Amino acid sequence: MTDVVWGLLDLLLILALLALAWGSLNSRNLQRAVIYFIGFGLLLALVWVRLRAPDIALAEAAIGAGLTGALLLAALRDASHSPDHTDRPDRAWRLNPVPTLLSLGLAVALGLAYLQALEIADPQRLAVAVFSHLEQSGVSNPVTAVLLNFRAYDTLLELAVLLTALLGIMALGQARPAYAQAGPVLAGLVQWLTPLLILVSAYLLWIGAHAPGGAFQAGALLAGAGVLLRLAGFPDSHFPAALILRGMVIAGVSLFLAVGLVLMLVGRGFLDYPPAWAGGLILLIETAATLGIAATLMLAFLGGRPAAWSLDTSTTGRIQAADMVRHNTGDNP
Amino acid sequence: MTDSLVWSIALPLSGAILSVLLPRAANGIGLASVLGSLAAALAVIWTVADQGPLTYAIGGWTPGLGIALRADGLSALLLLLSALVAVAASVYATAYFRQAEQRQRFWTLWLLLLSALHALFLAADLFNLYVTLELLGLSAAALTALSGQREALEAALRYLLLGLLGSLAFLAGVALLYTGYGSLDISTLTHRLSPGLTGWSAAALMTSGLLIKTALFPLHFWLPPAHANAPAPVSAILSALVVKAAFYLVLRLWLEPFASLSTPELVQMLGVLGAIAVIWGSWQALQAERLKLLAAYSTLAQIGYLFLFLPLILETSDETLRHAALGGLLLMALTHGLAKSALFLAAGVVQQHAGHDRIAELRGTAQALPATTFTLALAGVALIGLPPSGAFLGKWQLIAGALQAELWWMLGVVLAGSLLAAGYVFRLLGHAFGQARYPARSLSIGRQEIPALGLGLAATLLLGLFSAPVWSLLAGLAPAGGLNP
Repeated sequence: MTDVVWGLLDLLLILALLALAWGSLNSRNLQRAVIYFIGFGLLLALVWVRLRAPDIALAEAAIGAGLTGALLLAALRDASHSPDHTDRPDRAWRLNPVPTLLSLGLAVALGLAYLQALEIADPQRLAVAVFSHLEQSGVSNPVTAVLLNFRAYDTLLELAVLLTALLGIMALGQARPAYAQAGPVLAGLVQWLTPLLILVSAYLLWIGAHAPGGAFQAGALLAGAGVLLRLAGFPDSHFPAALILRGMVIAGVSLFLAVGLVLMLVGRGFLDYPPAWAGGLILLIETAATLGIAATLMLAFLGGRPAAWSLDTSTTGRIQAADMVRHNTGDNP
Repeated sequence: MTDSLVWSIALPLSGAILSVLLPRAANGIGLASVLGSLAAALAVIWTVADQGPLTYAIGGWTPGLGIALRADGLSALLLLLSALVAVAASVYATAYFRQAEQRQRFWTLWLLLLSALHALFLAADLFNLYVTLELLGLSAAALTALSGQREALEAALRYLLLGLLGSLAFLAGVALLYTGYGSLDISTLTHRLSPGLTGWSAAALMTSGLLIKTALFPLHFWLPPAHANAPAPVSAILSALVVKAAFYLVLRLWLEPFASLSTPELVQMLGVLGAIAVIWGSWQALQAERLKLLAAYSTLAQIGYLFLFLPLILETSDETLRHAALGGLLLMALTHGLAKSALFLAAGVVQQHAGHDRIAELRGTAQALPATTFTLALAGVALIGLPPSGAFLGKWQLIAGALQAELWWMLGVVLAGSLLAAGYVFRLLGHAFGQARYPARSLSIGRQEIPALGLGLAATLLLGLFSAPVWSLLAGLAPAGGLNP
């Protein structure tokens, strides 16, 4: 009986997901398309829950729906201010038959290939190996064990990818101006939410060792708190000094690399944690990574270099002033 | 000595991190870390030549559960090429960027790109390869946009989106393979993979993703604007190394995990696409009005040559033939890497000196910049494939192999391609040697001209005259059925 109920729920979930995807692609109003996209991300997080992948569900909700949504909305707002802004063309947006058929064909081929892959699936799946080595990994959450120990090198490079993405955004120009101070309702909400987000983020970081959670989810939530503060235009929310800001951005990748290299220099091997220390080292790396991810995602949201990023001493005095001036010119979302 | 595998990746990465924190010391940090990674690459190739392929299990976990780094002759040679070109381009960059802020941004992204390249050449795990491809694609696109000009931004955005499409196709293939065969380790997959829908779909997805990244005809359209609008040292490394990294992966995948899936028709098709790329790229280079665009189109042609070798390598049962062709392929790739980076660096000098790089208006370059003009000529010699460049030996192997395999059409392609290359090189030199009344000074910007000249000399002389080590390093590489029997 419960199976039937769950089955129906899953079916509804899938249909709603498809409908939202369609709406997002098909909507003439870009803002509506973005809202559909955020809804799509949230439902996708539920799908991950149903697939029993809560770690991915958390990441999808925080990054896929939350931060990406905020980023898209901010970009939309920028575009609507620019002179050559155009909405999607007025004529009804129609499906182009050739790419549609090609995509459908590709989807069917991929589906068939996937079914065949499941059929021949090797019994010696990696999962078995992961569980049999879990005790030596220093953590009891298999996802964290893979990300921070067995395949730690991948995660190290992923942190470098994040740094690259941020620097790529910063290479594009100045950050968008700060928002003006929000009205009492939004400001009050943000006042409540910010400490809560920080607390939940710390909890996710800590719990990651033995339950769903970890640096990426914690960092994304922390960045979410930063984005909220920015959106509400709190006059007291400043960036730290440039050197500290830069230190935060590289915190994760630098500590990770340093731990790996020190272990190699003392004769153990790159990223080869001593089993007794593995738990502690992983927590240390995750803490630094949380800070780094949060700072990176928050700065990425700005869409360019903020004045606070500049190390040039002659401009530091003007930074606060520049941010203040911008408060008056920016407006609320 | 296996630690040098890690160092060749970790040193540029450490340099990148440090340069975020200490942007004012970026020149020093950058040079120190590229020199360090050159030393590590030399140690890698030395050990490979001495002891054969190296493997390094990161974290001490067995490959499969963990991730391994691996170096054999093929990857060690490309690693060395990358480290060498990086040193020359880095010395050049210390003088090229006049604006401090732009130079600081350049260094961090540049060092990230370099660590991605080295990580890619040494990777032995498919998902790890995906991560290196992402790092490579993002840093390359960001570097393309560095000048901040509109054309550069447009080219960089197109480059980024197509690169992401390629990476996603690659990732989808990796996911299929992992679902079906339960491993991400390349040598494990080489044993497990058998012909079937899963393998074919994965191979098709991953190969087409990589063909976008290596800009094989007809997926090449993003390359000329991206390479022509990037700053000179960036163009040098994009053309010399980044497209070649994607080609290296195509070769590696079809030599190892996909070896059992290869069919003559498929490999012939890649060869034919390569042939079209040779002709089309050379023809476009002949038409190009700007020097950097000429260099970019010539890259399309040179990638085409590399694909021409594939039928000789993947579809032959003759071990000596395969070995000879593989050596020829590597010589072509290495020579092009050196020559094209030399050409782009020299083009940067010309552009900064003359204020433009329109070929028809380059009169007097030979008088004003003799060393740089010499570099252009040397790079041209290597691109045409004249002796004593390594490309001459490479093309020789290509022709010999084609004759033996009775692929007659290849002869025509190589001849036409070389003629067209001679055409675009001499057209350039003809304009550069045009008379003008300038006082001659052999060197004006040493820090930019000497690295370019060094690369040009290496491309024409070094590989042609001392090519034997390439073959001996490749000995035993890729016997039928993969590398690790």
